[in-house]
Amino acid sequence: MLLYAIRRFGLALLILLVAVTAMFLMIRAVPGDPVQIMLGPRATPELQAQLTAELALDQPIWKQLAIFYGNLLQGDLGIDVFSGRSVTDIVFRQLPHTLYLIFASIIWSATLGIALGAYAAAHPNTFIDRAAAALSVSFVAAPAFVVALLSLLIFAVHLQWFPAIGAGDGFWDRLNHLVLPAFAIGLSWVGYIARLVRASMLEVLGESHIRTARAFGLSEGRIVMIYALRIAILPVVTVIGVGMGFLLSSAVFAEIVFARPGLGKLVIDSITTRNYPIVMGSVLISTALFVVSTALADLINAWLDPRARSAK
Amino acid sequence: MKIEWTKAAVGRRGFLKGATALGAAAALPIGFGGRAVAAEGGTLRVRSYGDMQSIDPAFSKGVIDEEIHASIYNKLIQYKPGREWDWQLDAASMIEQVDPTHIKFALRDDIGFTGGHGAMTAEDVKFSFERIVAEATESPNKPDMGPLSHVEVTGEREGTIVLNEPFAPLWTIALPYITGNIVSKNAWEAAGGKATTDPLAESGPYLRASWSPKEKTVLTRNPDWKGEAPAWDTIEILPIDDENTAEIAFEAGELDFTRVSLGSVARYRDGVPNGGTLLEYPSLYYAWLGMNLDHPKLQNQKLRQAIQHAIDVPMIMEAAYFGAAEPSTGIIAPGLAGNRSKSLIPPQANFEKAAELLAESGETNVTLKLDTLNKTTFTTAAQVIQATLAQIGITLEVNVLESGAFWASADNEDLQLVLNRYSMTPDPYYATAWFTSEQVGHWNWERFSNEEFDKIHNSAYQETDPEKRAVMYQRAQDLMEESGAYRFLTHEASPMVHSAGVVPALRPDGLALLRYFGKA
Repeated sequence: MLLYAIRRFGLALLILLVAVTAMFLMIRAVPGDPVQIMLGPRATPELQAQLTAELALDQPIWKQLAIFYGNLLQGDLGIDVFSGRSVTDIVFRQLPHTLYLIFASIIWSATLGIALGAYAAAHPNTFIDRAAAALSVSFVAAPAFVVALLSLLIFAVHLQWFPAIGAGDGFWDRLNHLVLPAFAIGLSWVGYIARLVRASMLEVLGESHIRTARAFGLSEGRIVMIYALRIAILPVVTVIGVGMGFLLSSAVFAEIVFARPGLGKLVIDSITTRNYPIVMGSVLISTALFVVSTALADLINAWLDPRARSAK
Repeated sequence: MKIEWTKAAVGRRGFLKGATALGAAAALPIGFGGRAVAAEGGTLRVRSYGDMQSIDPAFSKGVIDEEIHASIYNKLIQYKPGREWDWQLDAASMIEQVDPTHIKFALRDDIGFTGGHGAMTAEDVKFSFERIVAEATESPNKPDMGPLSHVEVTGEREGTIVLNEPFAPLWTIALPYITGNIVSKNAWEAAGGKATTDPLAESGPYLRASWSPKEKTVLTRNPDWKGEAPAWDTIEILPIDDENTAEIAFEAGELDFTRVSLGSVARYRDGVPNGGTLLEYPSLYYAWLGMNLDHPKLQNQKLRQAIQHAIDVPMIMEAAYFGAAEPSTGIIAPGLAGNRSKSLIPPQANFEKAAELLAESGETNVTLKLDTLNKTTFTTAAQVIQATLAQIGITLEVNVLESGAFWASADNEDLQLVLNRYSMTPDPYYATAWFTSEQVGHWNWERFSNEEFDKIHNSAYQETDPEKRAVMYQRAQDLMEESGAYRFLTHEASPMVHSAGVVPALRPDGLALLRYFGKA
């Protein structure tokens, strides 16, 4: 297991390195003089030259990359061009908002998805199973931005049950502000997880240990909840790990539609203004988040299912 | 070291059991508290289209920062809320232009800075203004202060602003806008001469209580403010870049004041939810279609004139601006010195004349490229232009660019036609500045170079007779239009909505003057 963990995190580090380097090169390939865009029309040539030197934009690209990684190794992500604040500070002030949103989405979608899938599997080919299937497919098919706008109009404007914008102050207010965005980006995951759990459950329910349990006279509820579901949700762990990446990208539009602070909005604003230090800081953290979450999902999966460890 | 996972405190079975239980627990209904309602408890909630960048007026990025600065600092004079451009006294108890280059002022004796930085004195005014123009400061806002020489301090609260040459925009831009904010000399010097995002010392009717980046800026009443008491205990400024989101937030009762999209104006004209009111103000922005005079395809003036006549501006207003904006006559908006009552070419397209001009040009099979921003308004306008130019046989390819790439077009030698939009401050000097020969390759994308135009720009700002000045700027716009490089489109519009409990205080272009916002 330890060897597997070391290998998995080694791979994660490599992925992180490749992704961040690719982003570094891509942002520099985008047309437009970053210094002119950053400083605006009224900056003097002297000021432009000064910022160019500060950002090492006058250096060859390989040297810029070396400087970036050199600073990174010292824990220095740079300084925001506009506000003069530390990029680390800026990114880490936005990160919790994105994490709250992602975790809230995962928790509610996994909970409902597992319940829906398990119930459908326990009652195969019944009306409820078909209804659950239809619901699941509808959820998967519903574009998140449409769900976001509709939920805003229904629950924030018409019914006024939940707030429309912002992140809130204090625990309960923050939780309240999470409801609609988490609902919007988590809905398609409900359907996806439900279908996954149903398929997995049906397979497990057909296995010999379940037949043995039934032969021992255990109740169907106990068999489903205790013996089948615990095994059937294994694939969900992996899916959630990978899903972090999708949820991170969904968080971008959720943060815009719901005017929430967060990493996604920070990245979009920074790319538009060619604020390289912030772009790189945000990309580094979000990529690390994705890579670590998938690696953790693999490790948990390997821990729960020893077969995964040996499947090298 | 060997890690025995199966002997960890939580086993596989335990984990699965726990995960199932957690799922069940999470499924339990959670009761949420009541929603925050805007304008509740003396809190005014307004939308800003972006987040604050700097608390230092010398490094202000424009309107977003200024909305905050104008509330927490004072100026000698402030813009007067209303539909006509005017100013009113703020920190000055008296201000007078004694000759074209000398302006005397006296400060009120009841304004102090926070943080124990004492009363506001003429030394603070001198420090604030002179640091803007000082080379060492490297302020991007230096041009707003124009030919400021220095400030003579003649008493504790009296002084004279001395200019190197007359500067008419002093009263319209320099003093009542970004560069006019007076900061504390003591506080700034103690901090090394520069502030970033935390206020060093404030003096206005509001204080900046907190700033949560990308989330909100909170202003609270200044307890030591001796002037007219502000109406609100707290002002929350929420950065929301998407107008549709802001509209939803307003309709949900979470905003008291916001600019709305042009596409929503018709809907709000029929009624604003929650007893709110729609306000329609003109804007100072100017949008136009430009033609690159240096491009080989656009050397023929008759061709350029044909394009000018083939563009139907009212049609663009309907399609791209939802009928909420009016055609413009140039780059200087109504209400400002130099605005023309009509353009040389009528806003309606004249296809017959356009076809005639095209025939006279001798150009055939004309194919051109139009660059534009990736905003719906501009792409729609581009499509209308594409369709109308097709009527006289000109094929137009629309090239949609994201903002970063678009604003880097200055050195794009292949630029042919461009749909452009510049922001503006309330003085014509700011408008003509971007079209001089000096700006070719920077912000003069049409490469328009005209000696008479340059001469007007360099002399009109010194003209203190408003009527003579207006005539000069009108002539400047005639020259632009005559070159065939410009088809002026619109100054756009500033539609806003506010809730029933708010009395907004706005500049004639709709910019919020938050310190003067009242309660109904």
